[in-house]
Amino acid sequence: MKQLIKTEFKRNLRSLILWSSIVAGTAALMLLLYPAFKDAFSQMEEFLSIYPEEFLEAFGMGEGGLDMSDFYGWFGVEGYLFVNLIGGSYAAILGGSILSKEEDDKTIEFLLSKPISRDHILYGKGLVVAINLLLLNTFVGIVLLIAFTIYGDLNVPVWLLFSYAPFILQMIFASLSFFISVFIVKSRKVISIALGIVIGMYVIDLISKLTDEFEYLKYITPYEYINAVTIVNDETIKPLYLLISVLIIGVSFVSAWFFYRKKDITA
Amino acid sequence: MIKLEALTKYYKKHARGILDVSLEIKKGEIFGFIGPNGAGKSTTVRTLLNLIFPTSGNATIDGLDIVSDTIEIRKMVGYIPSEVNFYDDMYVKDFIKYATSFHGEVDQPFMDMLVEKLELDLNRKIEDLSFGNKKKVAIVAALVTHPKVLILDEPTSGLDPLMQSVFFQLLEGEKKQGTTIFFSSHNLSEVQRICDRVGIIKEGRLIKVETVEDIMRTRAKTVRIKTDDQVDIDEHMINVEKINGYVSFVYTGETKHLVELLSHLDVKDVTITEPALEEIFMHYYERDDHDETTH
Repeated sequence: MKQLIKTEFKRNLRSLILWSSIVAGTAALMLLLYPAFKDAFSQMEEFLSIYPEEFLEAFGMGEGGLDMSDFYGWFGVEGYLFVNLIGGSYAAILGGSILSKEEDDKTIEFLLSKPISRDHILYGKGLVVAINLLLLNTFVGIVLLIAFTIYGDLNVPVWLLFSYAPFILQMIFASLSFFISVFIVKSRKVISIALGIVIGMYVIDLISKLTDEFEYLKYITPYEYINAVTIVNDETIKPLYLLISVLIIGVSFVSAWFFYRKKDITA
Repeated sequence: MIKLEALTKYYKKHARGILDVSLEIKKGEIFGFIGPNGAGKSTTVRTLLNLIFPTSGNATIDGLDIVSDTIEIRKMVGYIPSEVNFYDDMYVKDFIKYATSFHGEVDQPFMDMLVEKLELDLNRKIEDLSFGNKKKVAIVAALVTHPKVLILDEPTSGLDPLMQSVFFQLLEGEKKQGTTIFFSSHNLSEVQRICDRVGIIKEGRLIKVETVEDIMRTRAKTVRIKTDDQVDIDEHMINVEKINGYVSFVYTGETKHLVELLSHLDVKDVTITEPALEEIFMHYYERDDHDETTH
């Protein structure tokens, strides 16, 4: 399994570097804009007051939400979303293709002729996804650490949460696509579905915040589990959400394993 | 060494699988497994490697069950696929290193010999290789681990005649060391050249297993006669062709009946020869389904 992990990691390294740069670059860009906007906030608040409360809440700026003149509040509203959307997309693509690519490219025939069990293939690839996502978030975390240190007082719990909470969301998307890719092996199809989930969940997150009627939807969208308001204001992730996240990741992975071990590889 | 017992595989999507295939291959034997595309050769190979699971029946390699002991089996099996699909972005040397890493230490002198004999360039990317060169990579990767069993699925496709010859020499070398070889092919002349025994598969059923010698010695004869008379085609004649006053066919009945038949004709010229394996093969393929299932 060691060789598989090593080879898999090497093969995915270039895309990891690329995506890490995009995510960290976007975060850095949003952070760089902070000084320019800081002065404009008095006008901005006036400007924002014309919007309905629900609308502002949807973006974390409503009552009990984030204070945009605060640096962490600014990042929570403007930067964090991009980290989650782009990082989530990377996770969905990686999780959805790491296994199915072998079948789509028919290299699985080679791999399964070697003395490595399907279980180990699955663990190995799952592990590479987790390692890559941890590295991506660490890279973003370093950028945030520098920015937070430069612009204000470093709040360590908030910094750590902003850096690693996205990992939970990414693992959810990655494990869901990983599971789907057991059944749909055409990489392009898996990726389309996986990205659909990433965007779809975001839309559900918006709906749950915009309307009281559909508020219950917040329990099914990972964006809510790690939302910036709770991170900045409470310096935590709600235990219930953490539990749901772990369950989704666990169930997806175990189900993938359950079906994959008995699957006919006909590619 | 390799034993299949009533091995059956149905696919869900109506694609043909294999039905009730039973055979036994001895240690050190080269067993040819022949049939046209779609007959079930690859299904058999894929089942042996546990890429797919048998619907019923079972098979063992060196006493190990193909489903429950598949990892142990893969430690001692070298496999050359018909279509070579390797990681395009890898260099040949890295790929072979990866392939052998699952088996432990590499026999470097043996590997150098293989690379030299097959004229393989290790410093190229897989994606830049022609089909034939990819096949060479597969051959090196399969042989270098000193497998006890080789499973080959159309191994020579893509290789030029010279390389095919080199490949056969390598296989003969393996055979001398006691390697058992399962050689799936639709090319009869290569099977005839290298195999000890041959199994013929048609529409998922194994219809005949014989030694190459015996199969060449079957009653079937290739007959070519020159006659102006009308030749009545009977059920023992297959592959009948009429060209320039000559009638040629493969005769599968009793020899004395053939002589009797010819004696009624005004035969001006006749040649009776042992048929090529191709023709015998056609003979198995053209007979009706129900009388050809032999085990």
